Parts: sequence; C-alpha cells; structure tokens
Amino acid sequence: MKKYGLIIVVMLLLVSVLFMSGCNNEDMLANGDETTADPAETGTLVFTADGEEFIREGFLSKDGWELSFDQAYVTMGGITAYQTDPPYDTGQGWDIDYQVKVELDGIHSVNLADPTNDPAVLEELAEVPAGHYNAISWEMLRASEGPSSGYSLFLVGQAEKGGEVVDFTLGIEQEVAYLGGDYIGDERKGIVTPNGIADLEMTFHFDHLFGDGEEDLDDPLNQEALGFEPLAVLAVDGALEVDLAYLEKAFSAEDYELLLSILTHLAHVGEGHALARFIN
Amino acid sequence: MFKKNRHAGLSLLVIIFAALCLPIIIAAGIAQAHGVELEYVERNAIEVTARYDTEDPMAGAQVAVFAPDSPAEPWLTGTCDSAGRFFFVPDPEIPGLWEVQIRHAGHGGLLRIEVDESGISPAGTTGFTGPQKLLMTAAVIWGLVGTALYFSRRRS
Repeated sequence: MKKYGLIIVVMLLLVSVLFMSGCNNEDMLANGDETTADPAETGTLVFTADGEEFIREGFLSKDGWELSFDQAYVTMGGITAYQTDPPYDTGQGWDIDYQVKVELDGIHSVNLADPTNDPAVLEELAEVPAGHYNAISWEMLRASEGPSSGYSLFLVGQAEKGGEVVDFTLGIEQEVAYLGGDYIGDERKGIVTPNGIADLEMTFHFDHLFGDGEEDLDDPLNQEALGFEPLAVLAVDGALEVDLAYLEKAFSAEDYELLLSILTHLAHVGEGHALARFIN
Repeated sequence: MFKKNRHAGLSLLVIIFAALCLPIIIAAGIAQAHGVELEYVERNAIEVTARYDTEDPMAGAQVAVFAPDSPAEPWLTGTCDSAGRFFFVPDPEIPGLWEVQIRHAGHGGLLRIEVDESGISPAGTTGFTGPQKLLMTAAVIWGLVGTALYFSRRRS
C-alpha cells in the first residue's frame, strides 16, 4: 500500500511539473509586450496587401485564357504582426512563440486589381515597439458590406481565348486563416527602427488559382492550378457569375476539391508560403 | 515583379549538408609567375543546398546573406549553382543569427544559422521535437517510477 502511495506521489509531482511548464509557456504567449513600449523605442508599422502584377495587369492562364481583372477584392481581419526570437518558421505549425505582438483592428477590404494598389496600404500603426516583425497572421473573411459583400474573395474580370470572351464574376465564401513567417522578397520588410517606418505585406498569388500560361504545362504550378477552362464551360452567352456554393454542385468533385485546396496555397508573405486553415 | 516562373505548391527545402570543415583553397602553397603572388588560407565555410519539394535543385536561385548586425542590408549576395548549392564564409567577428534568404521561380525560404566563436550550427535544429520531448518525459517518468519501486521494496 505504501509502495503504491509513493508511486502516486511521484506521478502527481511529475504531472504538476509538466502542467506548470505548460502554463509558463502559455503565460509567455500571453505576455507579449503589446502596450508598454518605451516611446523612444517605437516606430510605425504599415500593413499592406499585394496581388502582384498578375492581378493588376492580367495574365495568361495555364489553359490559354487571357485574363484581366476589374476587381479582386480580398477582405481581411485579425491582422497581427509578431516579433519572434527564435524566428518563427511555418514548419513549426500554428504554435507561435512571440515577444511582441501588435494587432490591426477592424476589417479591411481592398481591391488588389486596382493598378494603384502596388501594394494596397491597409493602415499604419504608430508607436509600435521597434524590432523585427518576422511573422504575421490574418484571416480572409466574408465582407459584410461593399462590392464583395458576402464573399472573402471576389474576382470580376474578362477572359478571352481564340475570340471567345467570357465576362466572369467569381465569389468565394470560404473564410481562411493564414500564418506566415518572415517576408521573402527583394527587400527585407517588417524591421521597425526607433522613430522609423517599415511595412509588412500579405501577398496573394493568383497564378496558383489559374496557372501560368508562360510556364510549361507540366510545371508543378500548372499541375496544381485549376486554370480557367473549368469555369469557362459554365458560362452562358459569354457570361459567368458563380460562387463557391454553385461550384460545389457544378464542378466535378475533383475540381471542387482542387479549388478548395488552392485557397490554402493562395496566401504568402512575399514569396514565403503561409500556413492556412479553413475557419467558419 | 514576381510574375514569371512560379511553381505552385512548392515549398523551399533548404538543407545544410556540411557546415564545417570545407577548406577554401585558393592555391596550394605560394606560387609566383608574372608578378602574381598566390596563397591560400583555410576557413570553415557553410554549404547551403536549396531544393524545391519536388527535389529539383533551385539552380540559379538568388541568395542574400544577412549578418546579425545588419538584418536589413545583405552582407553578401549571390546565386546557387546548377545543383542548388551556395557557399559562403561568415565573418566570425559578427556572432549571432545569420540569415540566408533563397528565392527562385516565385518562391523562397529563409535559413537561420547560429554563428559564434566556437563554431556554426543550424538554427532551429538544436531543440527537440514534440515526439522527442514526449519520449524523454516518458523515459524520465519510467525511471522515477522504477526508482520509487526499488526503494519501496527495500523498505518492506
């Protein structure tokens, strides 16, 4: 009896230690320095979104449709930038340990097809703690108002192939959460110096959706892209107005699953892939 | 800017194959000819190999190396060779976390390498994974339980 009592005591001690170590980790996550920065050690962080030249200037889909876009609305919320040390890497999954976290309030809907949105500036946050914001998370949410109301992603444009023209409207209702690491691109981003200004970008790669006709058809990009042809065949008298609910019935199961999968590969931080998971 | 040459679904695989003991040999010994003086030194270099997740090498990928004391400006730039390899020798007088950014075909990744006076180690690989931690915890618990049983038996 005494023996079992001793075992139980040891086990309880161990569980307590493990529990406390877990709590400490949670405390660290919750205690990011969000509001107590020394004003002399603060700067401005500008949050931007970019659809790149693909969406602003149009491009050739993998199946030969010349695409141009009048609207490409993306609606984002829960935008949060992090300073992480050691630096966060998407290989770690969704658990992110951070020292500093700043959040951008509100819902932001932007038209990435607007040629002036190179990139689109969502908002500036002043007096954020200086340092390297090397991770960012956001959610692509259904808009509650505006041209893209009801959709998290809303594309309006024209597709042309061999003299055939399709005016298309594609609405995506699915909401998606994204988490990315450091910006990968021509320049470093997110490095806020005292009294300085830096930007941090959420990047959307639309060639993942339609493919890139300038690449080989067997290029992995094109093999994993939907293209435009599956949409074009649904057009009536040169017009196509569809959303995800419609496509679930109209598409083959394979194409519909592919479209859902592409939504998880759409977002990047520059050229660095972001993690994605469906919400709602 | 990133319009061309994008590979869908590719995530960058960056692996350090050999971080230490890669002697950079400029020449063996000293040779003189036509007023040229050649010599060599041995340095510990880092070899980075970058591949797509299709295992294809990121041949010709752009490389930018950032030193810890200047994270916004590249300390060194270059390109991967046809096998996706890139060599560089970090300045040992700038200890800390060095970052190597590799980009090609619209995708890229960032590799972190801890450098100090005593050597080079890949950042992020020195910790233990979740399963490893679980295994270690289980081993410790089992050891303690065994110890408790042992002493319990002796008392009785």
